[in-house]
Amino acid sequence: MTRKLLTGNGAAAWGARLANVDYVPAFPITPQTEIIETIAAWSDAGEIPARMVTLESEHSMITAAGAAAATGVRVFTATSSQGLLYGMEMVYTVAGWRVPLVMVNVSRGVAAPLTLESDHNDIMAARDSGFLQIHCSTCQEVLDSVLIAYRLAEDKNVRLPVIVNLDGFYLSYTREPVEIPEPEAIRKFLPAFDTKNSKFRASTPTSQAVAVLGGSPYSYFRYETHLAAMQAIDVYGDIAKTFSQQFGRNYPAIEAYRCEDAEIVYVMIGSFSTKAREAVDQLRQTGTAVGLVRPRLLRPFPTKELQKVTAGKQGIAVIDQNISMGKGGVLHTEVASALYGKSNAPKILTSFIGGLGGRDISAEEFYEMVKVTKQAINDGVTPEPRLLYTRDEYREMQKLQAIAHVEREELETTQ
Amino acid sequence: MNEVVMQHMTDLPSTHLLGTGTPMCSGCGGLEALHEIYDVLGKNTVFVNAAGCMTLLSVYPFTPFRGSWLYTAMASAPAGAQGVRDALDILLEQKCIKKEEDLEVVVLTGDGSAYGMGLSATSGAIERGLDFIYICYDNEGYGNTGQQFSAATPHAAKTATSRGSSGFAGYKKDLFSIWAAHKPSYVATVIGSEPLDLARKIEKAKQMKGPRLIIALAPCPPGWDFNPRDTVDIGKLAVKTGVWPLKEYIDGKVIHNIPHHRVPVEDYLQKQGRFVHLFTPKRNEEMLNEMQARVDAYWDAVSE
Amino acid sequence: MYRIRFHGRGGQGMKTASRILGTAFFLECFEVQDAPRYGAERRGAPIFSYVRASRSPINERGVITNPDLIVVADDSLIPIPAAGVLQGITDNTTLLINGHDDANTWKHRLNINCKVLILPVTEEVEDRAELPFVGSACVGAAARLIGVITEENLVEAVNDEISSLGADLIKQNIDQATQAFELMAKHEGLVKESTSKTPLDYEQPEWINIPFENASISAPTIHAAATSVEVRTGLWRTLRPVINYDRCKNCWWVCSTICPDSAISVNEKSEPVIDYDHCKGCMICVARCAPHAIETIPEQLAQEKEKQTA
Ligand SMILES: Cc1ncc(C[n+]2csc(CCOP(=O)(O)OP(=O)(O)O)c2C)c(N)n1
Ligand code: SF4
Ligand code: SF4
Ligand code: SF4
Ligand SMILES: [Mg+2]
Repeated sequence: MTRKLLTGNGAAAWGARLANVDYVPAFPITPQTEIIETIAAWSDAGEIPARMVTLESEHSMITAAGAAAATGVRVFTATSSQGLLYGMEMVYTVAGWRVPLVMVNVSRGVAAPLTLESDHNDIMAARDSGFLQIHCSTCQEVLDSVLIAYRLAEDKNVRLPVIVNLDGFYLSYTREPVEIPEPEAIRKFLPAFDTKNSKFRASTPTSQAVAVLGGSPYSYFRYETHLAAMQAIDVYGDIAKTFSQQFGRNYPAIEAYRCEDAEIVYVMIGSFSTKAREAVDQLRQTGTAVGLVRPRLLRPFPTKELQKVTAGKQGIAVIDQNISMGKGGVLHTEVASALYGKSNAPKILTSFIGGLGGRDISAEEFYEMVKVTKQAINDGVTPEPRLLYTRDEYREMQKLQAIAHVEREELETTQ
Repeated sequence: MNEVVMQHMTDLPSTHLLGTGTPMCSGCGGLEALHEIYDVLGKNTVFVNAAGCMTLLSVYPFTPFRGSWLYTAMASAPAGAQGVRDALDILLEQKCIKKEEDLEVVVLTGDGSAYGMGLSATSGAIERGLDFIYICYDNEGYGNTGQQFSAATPHAAKTATSRGSSGFAGYKKDLFSIWAAHKPSYVATVIGSEPLDLARKIEKAKQMKGPRLIIALAPCPPGWDFNPRDTVDIGKLAVKTGVWPLKEYIDGKVIHNIPHHRVPVEDYLQKQGRFVHLFTPKRNEEMLNEMQARVDAYWDAVSE
Repeated sequence: MYRIRFHGRGGQGMKTASRILGTAFFLECFEVQDAPRYGAERRGAPIFSYVRASRSPINERGVITNPDLIVVADDSLIPIPAAGVLQGITDNTTLLINGHDDANTWKHRLNINCKVLILPVTEEVEDRAELPFVGSACVGAAARLIGVITEENLVEAVNDEISSLGADLIKQNIDQATQAFELMAKHEGLVKESTSKTPLDYEQPEWINIPFENASISAPTIHAAATSVEVRTGLWRTLRPVINYDRCKNCWWVCSTICPDSAISVNEKSEPVIDYDHCKGCMICVARCAPHAIETIPEQLAQEKEKQTA
């Protein structure tokens, strides 16, 4: 076992390396490039047997990934943002093929306006595709999640592709100490790819991913895909347990931090949740009973676990690093639908949208979110969803607009 | 190399591999070409398909293939072929499968995909030197969606999106040259109504490695508006008039089958409803002359 | 609400028929829905379309499962289960058949108790995929049976829907429609509106929780070769190619090679043999057999002959 400083991208590449992947179709996009460059370097140096192919688009990349997995090899690929959206047709399609593969998505905001920085709108767009989703908060978790993801994808009751998500910049380009497990130990945890279910052999003619006529067979195939995804909750639980026994790192479907006696909990995903963790500790020191609920699995959604960890709490503050235009935060909607009508669900569910396009969420803002939620509990009234955005930011924005010759009808009074 | 060159019609297989009972139209020129091609390629193939009429060949639980099939999407069948080919190579290398289990990877798309949406994926596959065969059945339009014009639609043809009095204003894209410009192992044009020529070319392609690309002109009764019985007659006329040059690109050179006596282009046009406005209510002499002149110019350039 | 379904073959104009009837209803100030069954229309293959019409807004959608009137443009489809002509038929349904046999023969043959009316075939054609104007005749007859559409509006509807066809064809279609309209005069108003299913008389759906089945079962994958042979595309055929072996030169299997549907094989005696379960009747083989050894016979005639010899 070695402990080494690795970026999130480096950790993702190490995950693929340790999983002993056979095939890596690729296409570069910031901030994912380091992953494929790292793998390419290893492959060129003969350090890993994986075959790497750079396709001409993410659409083709995901097609090749799915096709290779359907043929019977272990496949790794990675993308981000515009690339994920460009390949979205195939994200849905290969999930419908019921092939196991792992794709890392390095979350980045989606154009327009174009940005290189992180938020979760890209990955949320893949939410309903059939790809399972694991969300990471540290570089260590990225490496470990890739390994877990292969076992999950390849489980015979699941057989669905999995996305491991990490935040651009905040994880992708940030080095943290990462424990790199020994290949021996990995082989015990993750056996070689089982080609038994694979098709396309001269002796076994198979037609895969065929069309259907009519809503009835379509419903069957789609619903079975859903049922397989639902199976993945328990399967994931077992895999996480095995992983923890073997490597001592625990990754439950929902991480509940200091929740037992909490009155208010934050719910959020991704790397900023470590900031929430910090806020929890600080608030606890001042006597506020706060906890953090961090779903690692977004698909399948761990509804029961969420109900359990939030039962009896007074309020939940959901922090979304995404925005569904015309509705609001996606995670907020997910949480609401999981808790609605449950007798011991918290009465107050506040919604905060922050961290869009890489905007920071400050400690003060974490504290304030708790204050607002507390107030709502006292008043018994849920406030309107709030964008985390300060007067200063707005003032700066106006300066930019002035330079851009934006004409305002009247001068805003926002000093 | 295994030199079993097809000489006569009698060398063509008389039992057919492609299963009956497909939902393709009665008289489909694309299906005709595919079944002839399949007989030569054999069943140790995996077809990687893009969205189009042929996607309906495999509709659960029915497939006419004796080998394998994978449907991808309209844009990326060559990338699907890349994935399958690479995976088979990896499995062979790792000795996970025996040589006998290997398959020829064959992309099967329409013209809409080949000439347009899938062109970038094809270009990528050729430039990576992918070992595959590409079969484009060219019915000169987006057939599956009701025959709107595509980049393969010929000048003046009426389609569902070019219903005006002069038909399609554009010109058929020269995909053969675009493909050939990538310097692949082989490019050829074929047509189902010339089965011997088709079989020879497919056999040739089968014995090569690398990117091998075939365009089969596919007379389409509903899309071109003619009685299904005329599929072969129209196909033969496409060749005899010189509208559909039968040619090959190999070792950097383009070789043509030069028609002995080219018959007038209008013989071909007249048989199809999509060109009827060139003849009724009044002959459009100007347009007919222009179309003949284009074909003549093509062949003049060939013989130079 | 009136619920009418048209059945025919691809090429017989069933989509246009439903549009004409829909427009005619519309001209009578009805609320209307008309639609073809969704999917690629293949010449000769069974196809249907449908029309709903009501004095009040229509909330029902999709395929009509409880028709008041079923119009069959091609009687050869009735015995084919896959064509679904008789789907949802009850004693209250009216069945209008374009065909030769009389109503009692059909009642007896199908063992049904509903009203059966015959729209006599006016023109004998070799290829039933090209029955001329059959759609317009069907609509004319249907309009009279329904009884709420005037001849004037029927004519206007035909005009509206086929306006691109040219004056000659429009006139012939109108003639066919009005002739059929006249022909059904004594049955005017025979087809009555029916009500919708109510919460009092509905049959409980037998919902189940479909079991989880792993991907080896539940992926959209076919684990076998050439299963398509189970699809009897021979049903699409309106013309039948018949090989006259006296004339056949056992040439180079031209017919077998060019048949798009792989429907001609060569037997051990080196003779071509047509697979009628799958031959779609495109007649390419007829057109290309140099010694003219393949003859064309209307499918219906061929089937009748077969029945007689059986
Ligand atoms: C991304 C995408 N856009 C549009 C379609 C709809 N579509 C399905 S088939 C087709 C036409 C394909 O044309 P062509 O490749 O010529 O094949 P043909 O239908 O003529 O056989 C289209 C546009 C699609 N499947 N995918
Ligand atoms: S529309 Fe044309 S290409 Fe498509 S199945 Fe019919 S005949 Fe063949
Ligand atoms: S094409 Fe005519 S002559 Fe030749 S085998 Fe067929 S039926 Fe016989
Ligand atoms: S008519 Fe002839 S060519 Fe056409 S499907 Fe039948 S056998 Fe084949
Ligand atoms: Mg096409």
